Amino acid sequence: MMPLRRFAIHRPADLREAAEMLDHYGENGSLYAGGTELLLAMRHDLLRYAHLIDIKTVAGLDGIERRDEHLHIGAAATHRTIERSAVVREQLPVMAEMAANVANVRVRATGTLGGNLAFAEPHSDPATLLLALGGNARAQGKSGERTLAMDELLAGAYENSLAQDEILTGVDVPVPGPSQRTAYLKFQVHERPLLGLALSLELDDDGGVIREARCAVGCVSPTPCRSATAESLIAGPADSLEQRIEEAGEALADEAALTDDREGSAEYKRHLIGVLLRRAARKCLNGNG
Amino acid sequence: MSDDKSRDFEVVNRSVPRRDGRAKVSGRALYVSDVKLAGMAYAKVLRSPYAHATIVSMDTSRAEAHPGVYNVLRGDDLEGLNPYFGHAVKDHPLVAIDKVRYAGEPVAAVIAEDELTAYEALELIHVEYEELPAVMEPQESLAADAPLLHQRQFEAGALRGFEGEVTAGRGTNLCQEHHIKWGDVDEAFANAAAVAEGEYYFPMAYAYAMEPYVAIAEVGDDGVTIYSSAQHPFMVRHDLKTIFDMPVSQIRLIVPFVGGGYGSKSYTKIEPLASACAWKARRPVKLQLSVEEAMLTTRGDDALTWMRTAVDADGKIIARQAKIYMNTGAYAENSPLVCEKSSNRCVGPYAIPNVQIDNHMVYTNTVPASSFRGFGCAQVTMAGESQIDELAAKIGMDPYEFRLHNAARPKQEFFPGMRPFDGTLTEDLKIVAENIGWKEPLPSGHGRSIGCSASDAGAYPLTSTAVRVHADGSASLMIGSTELGQGSHTVLPQIAAEELGIPFDLVRVVSSDTAITPYDRSTGASRTTTLMGRAVQEASQEAKEQMVRMAADVLGVEESEIESVRGGITCGEARLNWSEVLTRYYKLPDGEVIGRAYIRKDKDFAQLPVFWEAASTGIEVSVDEETGKVTMEKLGTCGDVGLAINPALAEGQDIGAATTGMGIGMFEELEFDRNQLLNGNLLEYRLPRFSDMPRTVKLELVQNRDGVGPYGAKGGGEASLNSLPANIANAVYAATGARIRRAPLTPEKVWRAIRETRAARGENES
Repeated sequence: MMPLRRFAIHRPADLREAAEMLDHYGENGSLYAGGTELLLAMRHDLLRYAHLIDIKTVAGLDGIERRDEHLHIGAAATHRTIERSAVVREQLPVMAEMAANVANVRVRATGTLGGNLAFAEPHSDPATLLLALGGNARAQGKSGERTLAMDELLAGAYENSLAQDEILTGVDVPVPGPSQRTAYLKFQVHERPLLGLALSLELDDDGGVIREARCAVGCVSPTPCRSATAESLIAGPADSLEQRIEEAGEALADEAALTDDREGSAEYKRHLIGVLLRRAARKCLNGNG
Repeated sequence: MSDDKSRDFEVVNRSVPRRDGRAKVSGRALYVSDVKLAGMAYAKVLRSPYAHATIVSMDTSRAEAHPGVYNVLRGDDLEGLNPYFGHAVKDHPLVAIDKVRYAGEPVAAVIAEDELTAYEALELIHVEYEELPAVMEPQESLAADAPLLHQRQFEAGALRGFEGEVTAGRGTNLCQEHHIKWGDVDEAFANAAAVAEGEYYFPMAYAYAMEPYVAIAEVGDDGVTIYSSAQHPFMVRHDLKTIFDMPVSQIRLIVPFVGGGYGSKSYTKIEPLASACAWKARRPVKLQLSVEEAMLTTRGDDALTWMRTAVDADGKIIARQAKIYMNTGAYAENSPLVCEKSSNRCVGPYAIPNVQIDNHMVYTNTVPASSFRGFGCAQVTMAGESQIDELAAKIGMDPYEFRLHNAARPKQEFFPGMRPFDGTLTEDLKIVAENIGWKEPLPSGHGRSIGCSASDAGAYPLTSTAVRVHADGSASLMIGSTELGQGSHTVLPQIAAEELGIPFDLVRVVSSDTAITPYDRSTGASRTTTLMGRAVQEASQEAKEQMVRMAADVLGVEESEIESVRGGITCGEARLNWSEVLTRYYKLPDGEVIGRAYIRKDKDFAQLPVFWEAASTGIEVSVDEETGKVTMEKLGTCGDVGLAINPALAEGQDIGAATTGMGIGMFEELEFDRNQLLNGNLLEYRLPRFSDMPRTVKLELVQNRDGVGPYGAKGGGEASLNSLPANIANAVYAATGARIRRAPLTPEKVWRAIRETRAARGENES
């Protein structure tokens, strides 16, 4: 890690000004929303920007509130704010629990949800969970606002699909109903997780049948991914899920297109996906991992 | 602790709060990075992208023309300097000359008005390389057709720290070899009741310190002055004396607090480069490395050890044989001594009648390796203590009982020719066994292990000091040792206060400035409390002897009529404290007396090692068999320290050493791929975290006052590391039945080993 190269930091008053700055500086500029990934990459000379546009100064971008059937979390909300938010803890506890385990306390105090998602680091915890929860990103551009599903927002490793003038303003996460069970588990050796796995189960009224499942695995492919095969395998009688879960894990691993790298072999990752999926299912159904 | 012996102590053997603690936690303590000299320039280093290449050409003109740049230092422009350094083998150019030998080696340095400008100018330098084939592993490097790293012949450095010759520079990539042999191993193995045999690997590790390497150099009319983070300023002085061809009186190393060393800051590192920059730029130059650059500067030697150990029918170890290949990387640094020490330490703390150790230290195109906490002992104890458990299992003996049965006994000359054992390992083992509940039932998935080690420690005994007792009764210690967090600036004044009979708060430490403080060979090998502590004790006594003579003079009596008491003298009815003695002697309430001490290889220190650094460690782990994740649940350490001058600091070192051992045992490993260091940063090089620490930690010290240091003290602070990686392998075996012989025991490695063990037993996978 070397010194940061020279750059100017700009503080837009509102989104419109931020968008104008983005447009104006083009490839020389980047949004700055905490910098826990961006500044690291700049210090390693992997990225160079002469202009950073500090989106954290825009008022109202860090709010967290219930909006109809969704929980809205502003892009500039820090992981720490999410972790400690009473409304998140009450209405989306899995999100608060996930946030409480992002990186370390210094990153959580500075890094933001929007910065995390827009940077599209493949090891992102929030991206994996939000994919399983069906969260949608909101983006504001010159021509107005649009909503993107997580798999639309995340275009690849370190790559989002936002247009040059678009700014991520927050995410809307459906608030789970009483019959929905969710879990996020991760396995970590180094600073970033080796594997993140999110599971969301929609149960019938007496809890005996899984009506619908969404599961996502992160860290092991350029973007977190779901598997329709795995999800349809998981759906069905809850008491026999253990018999279907191994095959579901295999299907999810197939979707992730695993490779050998420093975090582990593809074989080990495949095995861990199975282990974490089974543990997540137990956590959803029995309340323990 | 033996209470009756310690009852008389007023200041030592007490956990007085560390003196520099408040300054350090509040950010007021001075480190080299805080130092700023008038007119100071800043240097940044351009590093080689190739592991092995010839430098065909270098164009630095654009960098030199960059606004704010003063100069560019390059390897073909060092006329007037002797650019190679190395206390053992003078093989290390201060900046690459003609070729590079590892990826990350400095090839040029830009000197500019500020650090950022120097950094920006680095990319304006154009270097043309011709890549050469590289060798990354010892056995590959020793192959007949391997590319040769060093073509030059080398002389053995006078300060290499051992008596044998150096092997480097004889036309192969062998840097050093060392052989030990007594008894007849072949016959012993032929007659053994049981034999354990295997190949073990101890990884390349980085001795992470919070402060990366930093040096500020100034070359002026009165010589070279360097502020440095060096552990051994006098050793660095010797290298610089040669580079600049100046008398040592003109080389001045000043070392304020060092922000952690763990061996990585021993001997010369970036001081030659910083001082060559200052020489070139004709102004003071600061060179501050980042952590990532520090990881490209020094690492620990990795070791591949084939070992076999035999027992007789009574469970006595009768033979050990090992063949070791260690990897020093591109330069020798201190690895020739690591080679000798790891060979010695391969024997373990056991009296074994037949021993043969053959050790090879090999050059490769990787980051140079040097001292690392434990100093060669941890590398081979991974093999040695693993094998003790393997043998115990073979003969159906409890591994703890097996160790008790075989551990060296007090006063036993278990290593022929060396100092008889000055510790009590069986006592240490019993304490640890008790503290980790050795005999208690274990939950499923848990395993325990116990281990021990003894290292020939203390390095070469050459240490001197001056204790200045002032007329107001306070004192200043002139200490050549460096304070790198180990607590010497607290322990040494405790000793002076004890001897002089004055309050601890009245003793000041003046430290590690080669122009001011008397010579101390080094601050390493756990030696400071033993050697500098003894020097402080003797110098304090010598000051007292002088003050007794002064008292006789002022009282007009014979010396024999004066009785030295705590804090002063008595003579009949007269009672004078030291302040009164000096004030009356000088007839002025000012002035001082200087007590001196010179420790050399003589008397108590005639036989090496200075002391055996011994400890026992025990752990309990739990293993998540589905993921392979190992959690350390309990840790017990017992440091065999003779007498702890400051028990809290001694225990702090033990848990620190054990934590380093846990890191290497479980996560730490520098990995190379395609000739590059793959994880040379703290995101990808996994250090231990507080969350990895066991819930239950029991630290204990055995204090039998059996060392040659002050009041029977011996060194500590490394031994708890040495057995830990083997502890982890043994505890994982106990928990799962899987034997892993390569550290670190990462989750995937453990998972695979469990799976393979199950498959071999014909069990179903879980």
